[in-house]
Amino acid sequence: MNNQNPADESIFSLVTPIDALSPDIRLEEVTKHFSDPRNAKLLSLPVVENGRPIGVISRYLFMNIYLKHYGRELYGKRPLREFINNTPLLVELNQPLAEAALHVAANMQFPLTEDFIVTRHGRYLGIGFVMDLLKAMEVKMRGNTAELEQAYTQLKSSQLALVQSEKMASLGQMVAGVAHEINTPLGYVQNNVAIGQELFSQVQIMIADYESLLDMLLDGGADEERITAQLLKVAATRNDANAQEMLGEMDGLMADSLYGIEQISGLVHDLKNFSRMDAAANDLANLNECIESALNIGRNVLKNKVEVVKDLAHLPDIMCAPSQLNQVFLNLFTNAAQAMEAQGKLYIKSWHDAAHIRISVTDTGKGMPAEVANKIFDPFFTTKPVGEGTGLGLAITQQIIQQHGGTISVESRIGEGSSFHISLPVARNGASAASGMEICAQDPERHT
Amino acid sequence: MSKPTLLLIDDEERILRSLRMLFFIGYDVRTTTDPDEAIRILREEKVHVIVSDQRMPVMQGSELLRIARETSPATMRILLTGYSDLDASIASVNEGEVFRYLMKPWNAEDVKKVVAEATAIAEASFALQINPEPPEAAGIKPRVLIMDNDESTAKTVHETLGDRCEIVWACDAQHAMEELAKQNVSVVVSDLMLGGSNVGYILKTIKQLNPQTQCIVVTSFSDTSRLIELINQAQITRFLPKPVSKGLLARNLESMLERFQLVRSQPVLQKRQTVEPISDPAERVSAGNFIGMLGRLRSRIGV
Repeated sequence: MNNQNPADESIFSLVTPIDALSPDIRLEEVTKHFSDPRNAKLLSLPVVENGRPIGVISRYLFMNIYLKHYGRELYGKRPLREFINNTPLLVELNQPLAEAALHVAANMQFPLTEDFIVTRHGRYLGIGFVMDLLKAMEVKMRGNTAELEQAYTQLKSSQLALVQSEKMASLGQMVAGVAHEINTPLGYVQNNVAIGQELFSQVQIMIADYESLLDMLLDGGADEERITAQLLKVAATRNDANAQEMLGEMDGLMADSLYGIEQISGLVHDLKNFSRMDAAANDLANLNECIESALNIGRNVLKNKVEVVKDLAHLPDIMCAPSQLNQVFLNLFTNAAQAMEAQGKLYIKSWHDAAHIRISVTDTGKGMPAEVANKIFDPFFTTKPVGEGTGLGLAITQQIIQQHGGTISVESRIGEGSSFHISLPVARNGASAASGMEICAQDPERHT
Repeated sequence: MSKPTLLLIDDEERILRSLRMLFFIGYDVRTTTDPDEAIRILREEKVHVIVSDQRMPVMQGSELLRIARETSPATMRILLTGYSDLDASIASVNEGEVFRYLMKPWNAEDVKKVVAEATAIAEASFALQINPEPPEAAGIKPRVLIMDNDESTAKTVHETLGDRCEIVWACDAQHAMEELAKQNVSVVVSDLMLGGSNVGYILKTIKQLNPQTQCIVVTSFSDTSRLIELINQAQITRFLPKPVSKGLLARNLESMLERFQLVRSQPVLQKRQTVEPISDPAERVSAGNFIGMLGRLRSRIGV
C-alpha cells in the first residue's frame, strides 16, 4: 500500500470491497447479486470493465425495469451494459475527505439511490456509503469548530496583550517625555540650592565674625589690638566683591528656584490630569480640557517643531471616559508631529451643533496616499519600520471614539498634510458612556 | 593672569543664571541663549570650555559643538542635557566629539570638577597652538584591532588599511585581550558584543592604559545610557550603528588613523581624550582582571 496521509486514511476507512459486475452479464443475473445477503445494505452495484468503473446499477433502477409490464421478459436477457447509469459518483482514494464530501453532495440524486465508487488512480477499489461519508465529514467539522474556537480564544487573548502593550508603549513614551522635561527645572533648582548651601555657610562665618566683634565692643575689658584685628577681618569680608555680588544674585536664584518648583508641580499636575488615575473612569468632561491636557503632555514632542494653532469654541460637557479621550488626542498630536519632516503647523478646531461635538486635527505634514489613508484605522497597519510601531494606535483611537458613539475619519493630501475629523454625540441615549467603556473587553457587535 | 573663559549655552535662562553662579569664582563666564551669538564669541574670543544644551529651538547642541570644533579646535566641548535620546548622543560623538556628555539635573561638585579638568586641558591645547610641532614621520606600522564577529567589518578594514597597517581580527574577548597585551594598538574597531560577551570594559580599559588608541564602535546595539558611558569613560571617537555602509566605515577608518598619528605626535592632544573612571561595579571588576592579565602577559612576553 502507498504511504498514506490522514486524508487518504479517512476515505480508505469508508471503502467496502464489493465484487464488481461485468457489463457483459445479462440483466437478470443482477437479481442474485442484489438478493445476496452480503449485499443487503447496498443501494447499488458497481459495474467495472478492465478494472475501471464504467457505471452502477441501482436497486431502484433495476426494480423500475422489472416493474414494467413484461420488463423481465423483455429486458432480462439483454446485457447489463445497456441499463447502467454511466455517470456514477466517483471518489479517488487520495482525495481529501472534505473535497470528496463536497463532490458527492453536489452530484448525488434524490431520492438517494446509489452508493459511491472509490477508485485508486482511476481503478476500481470498492464502494462507499454516502451516509458514512457525510457522517465522517460532520465529525471532522465538529473537530474543526473546536479548533477554531480555541484559535479564536488565543487570538482574543493575544489581541488583549497587544492592546495592553500599545497602551504601555504610549504611556512609557509619555512618561519619558515628561520626565525629561522635568530635568531642566530640576537641574537649576538643585544647582541653586547647592550654591545657596555653600553661600549660607559663608554667611554663617560672617555673622560669627560680626558677633564676636560686637561682643568685644560691648565687653569693656577687650584690648584695642584684638578689636582692631577683628575689625579688619570684618571689613575684608565686607569688601569681598564676590561675596557681595553672590549674595545679591542669590535673590534672583531663589526666585528662579521657586519658579522651577512651580514648573515641576505643573508638569506633575499635567500628568495626573492626563491619566486621571484618581478620578472616575467615566465623568462629565469638557473636550477642550482633554485637548489642553494632551497638548501639555505632548509638549516635548511638539516643542521647537510644531506651531499649534487652536480654535476652540465653547463646548458643552459630555459624559465620557476622559482619560481615554486624552489618549486619543495625544495619539493624534504625536502622529501629526511625526508626519512633519521639518517645522510645521497643527490646527486644532472644536465646535458643536445641537447633537454633535466636532473636532478637527489638521497638520501640515507630508500627507499620505489614498491607499494608506484607507487602511490607517486597520489594526496592525503601520507605515513605521518593523519594531517601531504596533500599528494599533489609530485602531485603538477609532475603537475609543466608536465606544463613545462617535465617528472618526481622515482626509489627506500628499505634500499638504492630513486632517482627522472626530464627531461625538452631545448626549447618548440610555445608559450613556458609563457602560462598556473598557477597551476591547466589549463585544464588538454591541454598540449601535 | 586672566581667568579662563567658560561659555554656556541653553535656551532656558534660569539654567544659565544658575550655572553662572556656580562658576562665578574662578571663571570669566559668558552666557547666551542664542547659538549664533555663541559662534560669534567662539570666533572672536579665546574660549576654554563650552557647555551646551542639546535641545534648542534654532540649533541642536551637537551641531553647535561641531561648529565649535571647526571654529575653535582647542576649546573643550561639553554637552549638558535633560534628554537622553539616541540620535542626540550619536551626533554628540560623531559630530560634536564631546569631552563629556552630562545629564540634567547635575551634581554641582561633579560638574565643577569636569569643567576644571577641561579648562586645564584647554590651557595646554592653546599653548600647543602657539607652538605647533610638525608631526613626526610614522616610524612603526600602525596596528588595527578588529573586535567584531561580523565578517564584513573585517573585510572593509582589510580593504581600506591593509596596505598600511598590521591588522588583527579577534572574535572573542580573550583573543582581543591577548592581542592588546602583546602590543598597543592604534585604532580599535569594535562591536559592543563580541563572541556573546559584552566588551565595553575592554574599550574603557584600553583608553585608560593607552590614550592614543582611537576607538570606533560599530554596533546594532542601541542603548543611550550605555553610549553615554562610552563617551565619558572610553572617549570613543565614532559610533556607527549597524548595518554600516562600507564607504562610511572606510572614511572613518582613514580619519581615525590620521587622528592617531596626530595624537601620537602631540601628547597634549591625548589629554583631550582623558576618560572618567569606570562607573559600573561589574565592569570595574572585569577591567581589573584584564589589567592583571595584561601585566602577567606583558612580563612574560617581555614587552
